[in-house]
Amino acid sequence: MKVSRRQALRGTAASAAALASGVFRPAIAQSEPIRIGYLPALTGPSSSTGIGINRGTELAVKEINAAGGIKGRQIELIVRDTQSDPTKAVNGATELTRRHKVQVMWGPLNSGEALAATPLIARDGVPQVHPCWVDALTDPKKYPLAFRNAPTNQQIGGAANHYVVSILKANKVAVVSDTTGYGTASLDAYVPMLKSLGATVVYQSSVEANNPDVKPELLRMQAAGAEAIMPWSVNAGFLSRIINTRAEMAWDVPIVGQTTLGSGQTKALLKKPEYWEKVYPNNFRNCSYDASGQLPPRTVEFVERIRKAGIEMSDTLLWWIALGYDGPRLIADAIREAGSAPEEIAGYWNKVKGWPGVYGTITWTPELHDGFQGSEIVMVQANSLREGAFVLAPGYSG
Amino acid sequence: MKDLATSPAPVAAKGGLARLEALAPVLVLLIAGACLPLFDDSYLGVIGTRACIYWVLVSGLNLVVGFAGQIAIGWVALLTLGAYVTSVFTAGTAAPELSPYLALAIAGLFGAIFGVIVGLPALRLRTFYFAMTTLGFATIVTQVALAWKSVTGGGVGVPGPIFPWPFSSPWGFYFFCLGLALLCTWMTANIAASRVGRALVAIRDAEVAAEAVGISKPGLLVKVFLFSGAVAGVAGGLFASLQSYITPDAFTFDLSILFFIAILIGGRGSILGPLLGTIILTALPEFAAPLVAWSTFLYAVLLLIIVLAMPGGIAEVLDFKNRRPLERHREIRPRPELLGTPSNPDASRGVLTLKNVSLSFGGVRAIDDLALEIRAGEVHGLIGPNGSGKTTTLNVISGYYAPQQGQVLLSGRALRRRAPHTRAAQGIARTFQTPRLIGAASVLDNVMIGGSKDGRGTFVESLLALPRHRRDEAMLAQAAMTALSVVGLEQLAFARSDRLQHGELRFVEIARALMLRPSFLLLDEPAAGLSAEEIKRLGDLILTVSRQGTGVLLVEHHADLIFDICDRVTVLNLGRVLASGTPAEIRAHREVVNAYLGG
Amino acid sequence: MLVSIVSYGLALGAVYALIGITYNVMFTASRVFSFTAGVTGMLGGVLGALFIDRLGMPVIVGFVATLAAGAVLGIITEVLTVRPVLKSLDQHLYVLSTLAFALMIQQLTAIEWSTEPQPFPRLLPIGSGLFDQQFWLPMVACAVTIVGLEWLYRRTLIGRAFLAIAEDNYAARALGLPEQRLRIASYALAGVIGTLAGFTGAEMLLAYFGNGPLLNFYGFVPVALGGMGSNRGAVVGGLALGLFQQTANFMVGGIFASVAVFVVFIVVLLVRPEGLAGAATARRV
Repeated sequence: MKVSRRQALRGTAASAAALASGVFRPAIAQSEPIRIGYLPALTGPSSSTGIGINRGTELAVKEINAAGGIKGRQIELIVRDTQSDPTKAVNGATELTRRHKVQVMWGPLNSGEALAATPLIARDGVPQVHPCWVDALTDPKKYPLAFRNAPTNQQIGGAANHYVVSILKANKVAVVSDTTGYGTASLDAYVPMLKSLGATVVYQSSVEANNPDVKPELLRMQAAGAEAIMPWSVNAGFLSRIINTRAEMAWDVPIVGQTTLGSGQTKALLKKPEYWEKVYPNNFRNCSYDASGQLPPRTVEFVERIRKAGIEMSDTLLWWIALGYDGPRLIADAIREAGSAPEEIAGYWNKVKGWPGVYGTITWTPELHDGFQGSEIVMVQANSLREGAFVLAPGYSG
Repeated sequence: MKDLATSPAPVAAKGGLARLEALAPVLVLLIAGACLPLFDDSYLGVIGTRACIYWVLVSGLNLVVGFAGQIAIGWVALLTLGAYVTSVFTAGTAAPELSPYLALAIAGLFGAIFGVIVGLPALRLRTFYFAMTTLGFATIVTQVALAWKSVTGGGVGVPGPIFPWPFSSPWGFYFFCLGLALLCTWMTANIAASRVGRALVAIRDAEVAAEAVGISKPGLLVKVFLFSGAVAGVAGGLFASLQSYITPDAFTFDLSILFFIAILIGGRGSILGPLLGTIILTALPEFAAPLVAWSTFLYAVLLLIIVLAMPGGIAEVLDFKNRRPLERHREIRPRPELLGTPSNPDASRGVLTLKNVSLSFGGVRAIDDLALEIRAGEVHGLIGPNGSGKTTTLNVISGYYAPQQGQVLLSGRALRRRAPHTRAAQGIARTFQTPRLIGAASVLDNVMIGGSKDGRGTFVESLLALPRHRRDEAMLAQAAMTALSVVGLEQLAFARSDRLQHGELRFVEIARALMLRPSFLLLDEPAAGLSAEEIKRLGDLILTVSRQGTGVLLVEHHADLIFDICDRVTVLNLGRVLASGTPAEIRAHREVVNAYLGG
Repeated sequence: MLVSIVSYGLALGAVYALIGITYNVMFTASRVFSFTAGVTGMLGGVLGALFIDRLGMPVIVGFVATLAAGAVLGIITEVLTVRPVLKSLDQHLYVLSTLAFALMIQQLTAIEWSTEPQPFPRLLPIGSGLFDQQFWLPMVACAVTIVGLEWLYRRTLIGRAFLAIAEDNYAARALGLPEQRLRIASYALAGVIGTLAGFTGAEMLLAYFGNGPLLNFYGFVPVALGGMGSNRGAVVGGLALGLFQQTANFMVGGIFASVAVFVVFIVVLLVRPEGLAGAATARRV
């Protein structure tokens, strides 16, 4: 059939206009792969999390595809490395939603990038699940398609604060962060929370992560009578300096805070291994050894699978891998049970109750898109690190 | 001296066709940009919008880096500032809520002020030092953004502004940015082809000569920093809108480097080059996803290659008209008759006097108790062995050095010490021992710089190509062509100056000096490297100029030229006056003969 | 508190001073400033960690290997980024070529080594507390370098040849001094001093690619304050900077400390562009 030039032009203009308005959604053939957009930070300053999560994600996708995919359709994971840069995250998100027309977005994995990318992903009507902690990243009214399968900053801080005040019974607390967005935001959020628990914050400050000398800060904490130090930073160098300096000062106070306190990278930067005593990072019940040294059964089985797949665990954290593993499975389950249209996926997620992830048990409602349960956040002993997981901290019963 | 601008120009200046040739590439880009939506791919739209926003900033920075030659590496500070100002004023949380357009304008205002603050050290500091201070500013701004939580949201950041319909949709916003990019291209192109643009390049490549023709570096740089800062602030607001949410970690050092390298890759002194550079550097990492981690490395490699192999950048590659070979055996044939008859009789009354001038450099006495008098309408020769203080004397008169003792007087009034840029207004022009011209600019542009002080148009008028600017340009081009015809080089008017022979460069300098219609002309060894025939023509030219009422101080080694045309001669030796008098007296003077002339 | 400020301040100050001397040695040899001083220092730490920790070399061997790598880096800097642009009429191309090269090295390190700070091995099994080696190693290195350079420039023929080239290029060449080779040697020396700075400072600063821009800036401040080419000025400036920085850290902490350093730097430069001990700028005309 001959198409006149005018018809062709009109057709092009119409589709251009439709695409521009973001309404046009092509019908998907039943055998076409399911395209999942994925925005990790694999390089750049905040990449250690991304590298760990990536291992879990790749494993999950491989397993699902090997088992025949989702209703016979293979998963195509389309990756764009954000380089820990919000600008690249915006470029990448747009490329994934507009050019590759992904059905679902997994990520971004860092808060700074998610803050920029989430509004754009929402505008394009693409369902999104992400594991970022900054509180403002979910809003069922503004972003009805965005869900979080990890704790919020409030939950994390709450668990740590609870441990310090109620279990360690330390009433004078020093809170310190680095000068990144995550660090300063955490500091701002947690100090009032501590005060509302009845504790006195005797020191609060943000310190540059690269400063080789944190001794003045610790001396000030000590002079103010701090009974516990709570550092909030993902920078292993910064955290290791605090731990080293505490030991050099022979100051016996617990350090309670960010999960990275327990990472292999932090450990490598300690001057003596015994400095790692009395350091209690956040971690997650499902990825921690209980008092008898056992992981939960689901996790034990997961670790077996990781080992069989030859995935390295000693230079990262188990919960990162588990988190990365859960993400694609949440997506797969939604598509399998409900369908691949945005409202179908979101509809399924809105009703998820107690979804059994390796990392966390997820429950979402139309009013609450933060699916992680606060009770699953625990404190662990940093120096009990074994194959990426830790033993629960003393006095910790939940 | 007769007004050069009213003399008949033997060769017409650049015509309309040449202007279209210059515009063509930009038009092509504009059409390509306008057609981008037809590709159906709004991911391309995001990249295109980003390129437009970056270009808005780079177009202004181009004037600072590419034209004025200031190494401002930390300009991302202004992007950060603009982004936060726009976002804060639109959000209404820490400041009254305003319309996004007004917020954008305020961002431009803040940017302008801060641009001057960041740029001002350039007036006092050497290049490398200034580069370091801009880096310092970039860090300070980011740290302040992190610390000032109540306004900027600290690490959590603030949402960016959303512009109302029709700019709220992605393509609508793209056209908004495209329009602003076009506006900036037009404005900076206007500046490039104006007195301001030429003066900036003069400051970059021939600062000493720029001062000699009256260009004042501080005033010029302040204007450029104001403009550049303003557009950077506006770019920041647009950036915040594109990102939809800004945090301090979006403003990376890599971004600052990208802006800077885009200009260098594009080529300094060009508008089109940096425009292409910006587009290339914005789009490049997107085409090869695995390369994204290496993008800054690749930018650095590109920069190194450009600096080593093609310092002129893309602009040099695209400069086709300067590849055409020049005529081989060229002769310089001045036509002094084109100077016409004197028009300003008052000028012929003046006297330039040096009284008891002494100047030492460290322990070396360069000139000692020097007395010299140059009268209007006379040619006064200054000769002596190497190191006798001839060039130093010129530099003292020009104001580059202040004598430790003695005075330099113009018609009885002392000249301002250490203020070489004031000499042009007082009618003192000069040439230099080594020609100080802008190699990358055309001969005509180099001569037009001589008329800088005569332009009436302001910076803003040049920016917007208003009528007075256009009249200035026509007048200066006319006068420059006449000056070139006087020195006999009009056929080389549009050639790049660094393609000329050494002798021709000396005559170009003379043409530039003549643009000032000087009362006093200081010539520093103009005959060096000329053929005998050319020296004779030079002599005729100098004589004609002086008979018009200009007092000429001629520093030379060619004794024949001196004795042919000078009315008076002063001989220096070891910084002191050895003898002074008419050429005949000097020729017979025994000491002079012994020390210098020989035989 | 005071003890901590003084010990860290002087130690870091010594590292900054050494980087300042690196700048100066390159400047003396070629009359240009190179952006590569900072990354040379950074590589001192990274290569030290690489050789001793990852490749398992003994400390002395690793140390010598690092310094040798520094010399090679200095030579490459001279050949690739300085010599070609010295000939050009455009005086400021060297800023761009050295900047480009420094960026390349830094990015390469970030990608190949790591973007996170990596541990640096403990070098000597002695010292702790106030006399911890992380403090006195840089200071000893600084003292040795200063004394060594003084001896080189004033007592040896080659040192005086270095000075002659810097003082009056044409005259030196007229006397038959091999300008090119002397400049290469100067840059190699500068590379050694830079890596020495990074190596001795790495127990404090760790092996981290981000030390490049940090040392670039903080190593330049002593030069700016002390005067171009003045090594003694650089030492005084470096130690003063270290003490000021640590004091600011203690007094105002974190973010504002670095802002304070930048502001003071810019203000001092504007008031006295040639530095507190420097000579006025050279003749332009």
